[in-house]
Amino acid sequence: MIHSYYESSARARIAGLLDADSFHEWLFAEDRVTSPHLAILEQPAAFDDGVIIGQGSIAEKQIFIAAQEGGFMGGAVGEVHGAKIVGVLERAVRDHPAAVLLLLETGGVRLQEANAGLIAVSEVMRAILSARAAGVPVIVAIGGQYGCFGGMGIAARCASTIIMSEEGRLGLSGPEVIETARGVEEYDSRDRALVWRTVGGKHRYLLGECDMIVPDGIAAFQHAITASIEKGDDWSLAALEQEHQLLADRVKRFGACKDGRDIWRELGWADPDALAMMDNDEFVAAAQGHRAK
Amino acid sequence: MPNPTEKIWDHERQRRNQKLARAASALGASQRDKVVPADMAVQLLEAVLEPGDRVCLEGNNQKQADFLAQALTRVDPARVNKLHMLQSVLALPEHLDLYELGIAEQLDFSFSGPQAARLARMVGKGQIRIGAIHTYLELFSRYFVDLTPHVALVVAQSADAQGNLYTGPNTEDTPAIIEATAFKNGIVIAQVNELVDKVPRVDIPGDWVNFVIPSPRPHFIEPLFTRDPAQISEIQVLMAMMAIKGIYAEYGVQRLNHGIGFDTAAIELLLPTYAASLGLKGKICSHWALNPHPAMIPAIEAGFVKSIHSFGSELGMENYIAARPDVFFTGADGTMRSNRAFSQAAGHYACDLFIGSTLQIDLAGNSSTATLDRISGFGGAPNMGADAAGRRHASPAWLRAGEQARSQRPGIPRGRKLVVQMVETFREHMQPAFVAELDAWKLAESAGMPLPPVMIYGDDVTHILTEEGIANLLLCANAEEREQAIRGVAGYTEMGLGRDLRIVENLRDRGVIQRAEDLGIDKRDATRDLLAARSIKDLVRASGGLYQPPVRFRNW
Repeated sequence: MIHSYYESSARARIAGLLDADSFHEWLFAEDRVTSPHLAILEQPAAFDDGVIIGQGSIAEKQIFIAAQEGGFMGGAVGEVHGAKIVGVLERAVRDHPAAVLLLLETGGVRLQEANAGLIAVSEVMRAILSARAAGVPVIVAIGGQYGCFGGMGIAARCASTIIMSEEGRLGLSGPEVIETARGVEEYDSRDRALVWRTVGGKHRYLLGECDMIVPDGIAAFQHAITASIEKGDDWSLAALEQEHQLLADRVKRFGACKDGRDIWRELGWADPDALAMMDNDEFVAAAQGHRAK
Repeated sequence: MPNPTEKIWDHERQRRNQKLARAASALGASQRDKVVPADMAVQLLEAVLEPGDRVCLEGNNQKQADFLAQALTRVDPARVNKLHMLQSVLALPEHLDLYELGIAEQLDFSFSGPQAARLARMVGKGQIRIGAIHTYLELFSRYFVDLTPHVALVVAQSADAQGNLYTGPNTEDTPAIIEATAFKNGIVIAQVNELVDKVPRVDIPGDWVNFVIPSPRPHFIEPLFTRDPAQISEIQVLMAMMAIKGIYAEYGVQRLNHGIGFDTAAIELLLPTYAASLGLKGKICSHWALNPHPAMIPAIEAGFVKSIHSFGSELGMENYIAARPDVFFTGADGTMRSNRAFSQAAGHYACDLFIGSTLQIDLAGNSSTATLDRISGFGGAPNMGADAAGRRHASPAWLRAGEQARSQRPGIPRGRKLVVQMVETFREHMQPAFVAELDAWKLAESAGMPLPPVMIYGDDVTHILTEEGIANLLLCANAEEREQAIRGVAGYTEMGLGRDLRIVENLRDRGVIQRAEDLGIDKRDATRDLLAARSIKDLVRASGGLYQPPVRFRNW
C-alpha cells in the first residue's frame, strides 16, 4: 500500500518521513502560539498557525523540519507561521543539523495579515540563504494539494534542493491570480491541463527548477530526501554563476513559447503529449538530455 | 358462415405502405436506396407521421438521437400533431419543446434526469399528459403489448445503403425499440454518424430499417458512469469496507449489480486491495451486470472479475473493453455490444445482490430519489433493487438470504435477493438521508400521480448500510424491530436520535445491527490509501493507457 504524500496532512507527512518516534515538536499545542491578527478579523485560528516545526532524524541523520499544513488557510504564511519557519532556519545556523527540511504547501502570503505576512516571507528567504551559507543544506519537498505559490515559490528556489512529485505545483502567481490580473485569454485557470503544463512537477523538472522528481508516495519522498542529504549543497560561486547563465539562456530559448508543450518540443521531446502519461521512472529516463539543466 | 377473405386483416400494413408511398414522393430523387439526406429529414417526418401516432424517439441513458429530435421540432404542427411520445430517457430540451410547439401531446417514459424540473413545470401547467412513469423493462415490455410504436426514430454509429446498422459499443435500447416497431407494421428511421460501404458488424439487419439519415454532427453521448477517485471520501472508504466484509464476504456474493455513484465506486476500488487482503479474490464479485465503470479497471486487472454484461458503454472505455474480450461482451469487430433490455433482465433475475445509494429512506425502509418540483422517473434501479419473485434457480448467496428471511417469517423454503441501500446519514448540504415521510408523497400529490414514486420498496430492502453500521432487515421479527434497526444506523439525524436505546442494543447483540468494530474493522484503517486508484490518471495507468478519459476528467 502506497501512502500518498499528496493526500496526507502535514503531520502525517512528518510521521511517515522521519524515523519512528524521533520527532520532537517545537511550540506544541499547549504553547498556543497563534496568529494575533486572525482573532481581530473573527477568523478561526489554529494552534500551530498552519505550520509544524521541530527536530528529528531521517535515516538516522539529525534534521530540523518545518511542514506547512495546506488544510489551514491553504498553507498561507502569516506573521507567526513565517516566524516559526525563520526560527527553524536560524536555529540551524547555530546548531548545524545535517539538513533543514521544508515541506512546503502554500498559496503564499496570508492576505489577512498583509504586510506582516509579506515581511515574514522575505525573512524566510533571507534565513534560507543564511542556513546554506552556514553549511546546512535546505531541502524543499513540494507534493501537496495546494502546491507552492507566491513568495514561498521564490523562497523554494532559494533552497539547495527541490524535490517534487508529478502532482506537485510550483510557481509565483497562482493560476487564478494570473487569470484575474491578465484575463482569461492570457491564462484560463480552469483549464487544468494547461495549469499542469505550466506549473506541474514534470514541467518544473524539465526546466531544471526542481532537482528530483518522485512518484506520489511518502516513501519515495523519504528516499529522495535521504539522497539529497548525502549529496549536500553546492554553495560555490561557480555554481551560482552557472545558475545565472541557465536563467539567461532560458529567456532566450523559451521566451516566445506559449505553452509547456512548446518548451518540451524545443527541448527535443518528439511527442510532448505522451509525457503526461509516463510513469516516474520512464519519465526520468526519457528526460536524460532533454532538460534545460 | 361469413367468407374469411371478406374481413380485412392488414389495416396497419396498408397504412404503413401509404406512409412509405408518401415518403417516396416527398423525397423523390434525393433518396438513394435507404439513404435520405439530412436536409430532407423534416419532409420525411411529415410524410410518415400522422396525428396521434405513437412515436418512439430514441433517448437513452447515454446516446441520443439528437438530430432527429431537432428535426421533429421543425415539422408543421398543422400536419403533425397529438403525437404520443415513448422515450426511455428525456434528456434534451427538444424532447420537451415538442409539447410547447403543439406537436406532441402525451408521454410515456422511464427517466428524465436533466429535464426533471422543466417536466414538472409543464405537467403543472397541463402542457403534457403523462401516461405513466415506468422502469426501463416495463416500458420496453409495453412496446410489445399496448404501446407499440408506429414510428421509431433511432440512432446508430454507421449504416450502409441497405440500412444495416452498426451501433458501436452503445447499442443500449436500439434492438428493443426496433424489434417492436419493425415487426408490427411500424417505420424505422435511423440517424447515423457516417455512411459506409460495409458496416463493421451488423447490429440491426437492414430489412428492419426503412430510412437512414447521415447526421450533420455525431450524436450526443454522455459519460454518466465516470467517477473521479479523487473525490471519494474516507467515510465512503469505511462504508465500502463494511459492505465488502459485512455483506459481500458474509453471503459469498458472486453475481451482482452496482448502482452509480461514489459509494459504490469506493467498493470497486477496494476489491484489489482490501478485499484481496481478506482472501476474497475468486470468492466474491466474479460476474456483473454493470456499465463499464472506469473504477472497475483495477479490479479487472487484478483478476477479480470474470464477466461483465453492460446496459450501455462509457465514453473513453472503448479501447480498454475491446482489449478485454474475456470479460466484456464484444462483437466480431472487437468492440462491445451492450443491450439495456437484456442487461436489465440479467440484473433482475441473474444477480444475487444490488447495492445503490438513494436520497431519502423512511422508517419502513422505502427509499426515493424524488424531490419536490422534479419529476425524474425511475430508470432501471427498481428492477435491480427488487427481489425477483419469479426466480427459481438457486445460488449460495440467494439461499442464505432466504434462510435469514425465513428465520423470522417461516414458510416454504425459497431464496431471496440481497438489496442493499448504502447512504451516509447526512448527504450534501446536511440534508438527512433518513426522514419520517418521503418527499415522494408531496410530489405525488402536486403532480397528480396515482402513487408516491418510490424507487425501492422497504419490503424489498434487505440491508441498510451507513457509516454507523449495517442494519440487516431480514433478521427483524416485526415492523417495530425494523424501524429500530433503521433508526439504529441513522446516526445523528432526527430519526437516528429517536431510537430506543434498549431495543437497538438488543438488535446489536443479535447481530441485526453490526457496527464497524463488530465486523472487526478498525475505523483508523479506513483511509484513501486503500483505494486501488486515487485519481483518473491512476485509472489510465492501471489500464495500460487503454482507458482514454474525456477531457473534462483530465488534468493533463
